Amino acid sequence: MVGLSLGEKHFIQGGIAQDIRSDGRKRLTYRPINVETGVIPQANGSARIRMGATDVISTVKAELGKPISLQPDKGKVSIYVDCSPTAAPMFEGRGGEELSTELSVALQRSLLGGKSGAGAGIDLSSLVVVEGKICWDLYIDCLVVCSDGNLLDALGAAIKAALSNTGIPRVQVAAGASGDEQPEVDISDEEFLQFDTSDIPVIVTLTKVGRHYIVDATTEEESQMSSAISISVNRKGHICGLTKRGGAGLDPSIVLDMISVAKHVSEQLINKLDSEIAAAEAGEDES
Amino acid sequence: MAGQPGTTPTTYSPSPTTQKTRKPIFNKDDVDWVRPDGRGFHQCRPAFFRTGAVNAASGSAYAEFGNTKVIVSVFGPRESKKAMMYSDLGRLNCSVSYTTFATPVRGQGSEHKDFSSMLHKSLEGAIILETFPKTTVDVFALVLESGGSDLPVVISCASLALADAGILMHDLVASVSLSCLGKNLVIDPILEEESYQDGGLLITCMPSRYEVTQLTVTGEWSTPKINEGMQLCLDACSKLAKIMRSCLKEATSTSQE
Repeated sequence: MVGLSLGEKHFIQGGIAQDIRSDGRKRLTYRPINVETGVIPQANGSARIRMGATDVISTVKAELGKPISLQPDKGKVSIYVDCSPTAAPMFEGRGGEELSTELSVALQRSLLGGKSGAGAGIDLSSLVVVEGKICWDLYIDCLVVCSDGNLLDALGAAIKAALSNTGIPRVQVAAGASGDEQPEVDISDEEFLQFDTSDIPVIVTLTKVGRHYIVDATTEEESQMSSAISISVNRKGHICGLTKRGGAGLDPSIVLDMISVAKHVSEQLINKLDSEIAAAEAGEDES
Repeated sequence: MAGQPGTTPTTYSPSPTTQKTRKPIFNKDDVDWVRPDGRGFHQCRPAFFRTGAVNAASGSAYAEFGNTKVIVSVFGPRESKKAMMYSDLGRLNCSVSYTTFATPVRGQGSEHKDFSSMLHKSLEGAIILETFPKTTVDVFALVLESGGSDLPVVISCASLALADAGILMHDLVASVSLSCLGKNLVIDPILEEESYQDGGLLITCMPSRYEVTQLTVTGEWSTPKINEGMQLCLDACSKLAKIMRSCLKEATSTSQE
C-alpha cells in the first residue's frame, strides 16, 4: 500500500483528468525505456529493462528435454516470475507469492497462445530437435529488482529482449538411432541459432483512473486505479492475450475502446522497443 | 448433499470415457464438424443449480453443467484474523480446489492458486464489501468433476452460494467461456474442446448492471472476432443469470412452504 494523503490523491487524479501527470507525461506516454542485453552470462539469453524506477531482469535458459506425447512436434516453454523481497517489503511471504503467480500466469497467457499452441509468440515447433523424442525446453525466469508500477509491461518487454538475445546451440543428432531408442546428440559449443522474435507481442497495460486510462502507471498512480486491463498485441495488430486486474466492473463498450487504444499504443511501443533492443545488441557486440 | 437433483440420478457416476486413443476432435479445414456432445456452436450445456447443498455452511450451491460438477460453500462473515490490519471493507477469501478424482489423470487434490485468484477478482467487484467491515467471508469451491469450462461454472456457482448466504451483492455474477477452434467460436467448451482450442475467452459479468468484472483472453484474436466472442458470452451470461435467479426464487418459495 502506498501512503498517500488526500491532497496527493486528488493531485494525481486531477492531473490524469487534465492529461498531464505528476511526472509531466501525457496519459498515453511511456517512461523512457532502457534496455541492456546479455547481462547474465550464465544464461542463454538475458536482458534488463528499466522504465523509470521499475527494474526487471529476464533470463532464458535452454535445456534438452522430451516433448509431451500429446504434442510431439512442439517444444516446451515455461515462464516464471520471482518478486524478491529485496525489491519491496510487501513482496515478503504470501504477498510476493501471489503477485508472482499472477504475473507468471498473465505472461503465459500473453506469450504462449492457446492450448493447441496456435497464436503463440514463441514458435514452439522451432524448438524440436527430433520429433517426439528430443526438444528444447525453454525456461524463462524473470526477477523484479525494483518495482515502481507497470511490472507486466516491463516483464513482457524484458522477455522479448532476452529472447532476441538468446542463442540456442546447434544440435547434431547421431544417425542410426531408430525405434524407441533415445538418439544420441552432440551439442555444439560454437554454433548458435538465433530466435525469430518478430512475432512476440508487447504487453500494454491500460490503467483506468477516474474516467480516463493511462499507460505505464507508477505505483502511486496504480494505487488510484479502479481497474486495469493488460492487452498483448503483436505486430499484425492482433490481440494475443488479455488480462483484467482490479475488481471494479467495466462496461463492455469501455473494454472494446481500451482494446483499440492499446492497439494504437502498441504500434509505437513495438517500434521503440525494437530499436532499443537493436541498439543494446549493437552496444554489446562492440564492447 | 441436501439438494440432490431428482431428475439426474447418475450425478456422481464418472463419465464413461473408455476411448483410449484420442482423435483430434475436428479438422482445421472442416467447417461442418459436429461437437462431440452434439450441441450447436453457440449452444450452452444445460445448466443445473441448487442452493443449500451443505448444511454447515452459511450458504452453499451445487452446479452441474454436463460433466462439470462443482460445489461451493460460503462461510462467514467471521472475525478477521488478529494479525490483519483494521479495514473498513470486508475481506473475501477464495479458494478453488479439485478433488483427486476430478481429472482424467489422478490429481493432487490441492488448491488451484490461479483459479482462486481469478475467483476472487471476479467476485470482489460484485460484493458490497462495506456491509461487513473488519470481517472475512470465506468462499470454498470444490470441483467434483472436471468436464471443461470449470472456472466459469465455479464463479457462477460461487455467486449463487454468496446470495444463498445472504451476502449483499450489486448483482449476481454469471460467467461463460468460449473456445476458438479454427474459424469457429464454440461457447461453453467441454474438456476435449478446451484441450484443442486455439484461443479462449472468459467473461464474468453482472448482467443486470451490464458490467464486466473479469475478462481473460488467450491465443491470437482479431478485433472483430473479440467483439463477436464478447457479445456471444454476454448474451449467454444474461441467460445464465436468469436460470440462477429462478433457482434462488425456487429455493425461497420451497423453504416458505
